[in-house]
Amino acid sequence: MTSDARGSRFEALGAYMPPTVRSTGELLASVTAMPDVDLERITGVAERRVYDPRPEAGEDSFGLALKAARDALGHSRYDPADLDVVVSASITRFKDGDDFYFEPSFAGMLAKELGARRAVHFDVSNACAGMMTGVHLLDRMIRSGAVRTGLVVSGEQATRVAETAAREIADSYDPQFASLSVGDSAAAVVLDRAVDDADRIHYIDLMTCAEYAHLCLGMPSDRTEGIALYTDNRQMHKQDRLRMWPAFHRDQLAKLGRTFADEEFDYIVQHQVGTRFVEYANRTGEAEFGTPMPHSLSVVEEFGNTATTSHFLALQRHLKAGTARRGARYLLVPAASGLVTGALSATITHLGV
Amino acid sequence: MAIVITAAAVVAPPRASAARAVQLAGEASLACLAEARLSPDAVGVLINVGVYREHNTFEPAVGALVQKEAGINLDYLAHPVPGAAFSFDLMNGACGVLNAVQVAESMLVAGGAERVLVTAADVHPGGRGAPDAEHPDDDYPYADLGAALLLERSATADGFGPVRTGGSDDPSATAGYLPTAGMRADGRNRITVRRDPGFATQLLDLAADTALGYVRDEGLDLRRTLVIGSRPTSDFGLRLAGRLGLPEDRVLTPDPPGAGAGLPHTAAPILGYLRAITGGLPEDVDQLLFVAVGAGPSAACVSYRPQERWTR
Repeated sequence: MTSDARGSRFEALGAYMPPTVRSTGELLASVTAMPDVDLERITGVAERRVYDPRPEAGEDSFGLALKAARDALGHSRYDPADLDVVVSASITRFKDGDDFYFEPSFAGMLAKELGARRAVHFDVSNACAGMMTGVHLLDRMIRSGAVRTGLVVSGEQATRVAETAAREIADSYDPQFASLSVGDSAAAVVLDRAVDDADRIHYIDLMTCAEYAHLCLGMPSDRTEGIALYTDNRQMHKQDRLRMWPAFHRDQLAKLGRTFADEEFDYIVQHQVGTRFVEYANRTGEAEFGTPMPHSLSVVEEFGNTATTSHFLALQRHLKAGTARRGARYLLVPAASGLVTGALSATITHLGV
Repeated sequence: MAIVITAAAVVAPPRASAARAVQLAGEASLACLAEARLSPDAVGVLINVGVYREHNTFEPAVGALVQKEAGINLDYLAHPVPGAAFSFDLMNGACGVLNAVQVAESMLVAGGAERVLVTAADVHPGGRGAPDAEHPDDDYPYADLGAALLLERSATADGFGPVRTGGSDDPSATAGYLPTAGMRADGRNRITVRRDPGFATQLLDLAADTALGYVRDEGLDLRRTLVIGSRPTSDFGLRLAGRLGLPEDRVLTPDPPGAGAGLPHTAAPILGYLRAITGGLPEDVDQLLFVAVGAGPSAACVSYRPQERWTR
């Protein structure tokens, strides 16, 4: 955990959601071997957005990311040429339609497209904690004085794994079952130096417990043509896995002589896996910290699990709708394959959305 | 204060075996820790910069799998350690190691991390080196190779200089991707590395420009510098030496160890560094200049002044 001196802040936040809506009922109708379960009741996901495959729609991962980056920059005081750093965090790196990229970096291609000519650029890949990881690195680079401002962006064609699952899934115990709850999206956030306490990232600390790195694996399918995600849901969401966040967060706070209650968070944003997961994670936090959890912000009912973008999408939607208060203190808790957990604490007042 | 290299290692797969990036990077990590006489708990952050990996795995971070292989922060509940390691993948083609040094510097200065372990491993996704490989992929140019670099703060002024990056407005003349349309059920074994005519010149131009800009801006004496380069083509070191006006032996682009085919990719800077250590620095050289260049096109440079002198 680091001190606030020379800290960073969220300066602008953007998103792009594909307009095409697919309900959970419509998705289940496409599942070849229809599992005998009420998917909407289990996950709480009523619908999700899906990409438009036509090239002119520009809704491959790269196109989605570009639209979100432009949205964020539209709310920012900075021009693309002002950016010192561009980080891309997409898990699904589809560009030119169906090509899944390993190099060049998406970040470099996005920086070029945006006109961020002098920006240092690189991709981070850290499963659903990707954007949080990008923010973590950018925060450290700003704190160290190496840079002044940067952009973290992610565009996800997550429903590509749902398409594969719909073809291949056998029953609700199938390792691809979790793939049915994902949705497509893009989000982008601009960070710069904090100038006062009204807008400040107080801390962001992340940890990987690697014993469980194999519980969720993404790769091309060896049965049909498509990419797939294989998740051991029972192990992944065991209570001991969920206890990692409070244990780590409590220890980090203890180094500063503080407790969770001292933090006086107004809002908490959990990773948007499903409504039950969010409730379970909050109950675990309440039990472990021995204090009620702050108001929990969610978008999973409407957008599903959007992977890397979920926390930033939840923030953007609630700030924009006025359902989250400005001048408040927010806690963002990642939960990702790896396993990655941690905590981001920020006061948000003037953030452009 | 500066960031220094505490240990470095390169691991090539045993002959004719299907290499795994996770295993190569894991072994290189353990070799680094053994050299530095440190336990896995000493690592605060693990950054994996490899590009090509077994099965084209895209989740979790390969870094998390390497972290498991190296036994670093396996379960915080069972064994809470103060350093509670964090890992992730940083990908920027052949520039990955240098970008990782750039990020590591901020994490070591402002993040409270004591040590950062950088791993760089590339393998053909389908195991080109496997004796039973159905379709040996002769178009894939890179060697199966893993490497690791352990970084930490030092009270001395010696160590890494600032990392500078360079780019070009031109479209990248090289790229690596999986064309998923038409891959059928074989996507775990395929990869396309596209190299347009003129890609080597594009990379050479950018590498030379970025390196000469670095030398000028940082006031380096190129005559007292040993350059460690990427190796996008076999003769790249020779051609880069020509562009920089240096004798051929002042640009190191070593062959990978082992009997396998292919050029070093993300591991090239670590491979070159190890060659510089084992070969010893010439009398009239007192610093290294890492020059990385690859898809983007994207380039990065950083100087390194060793704390102790390796003599020939």
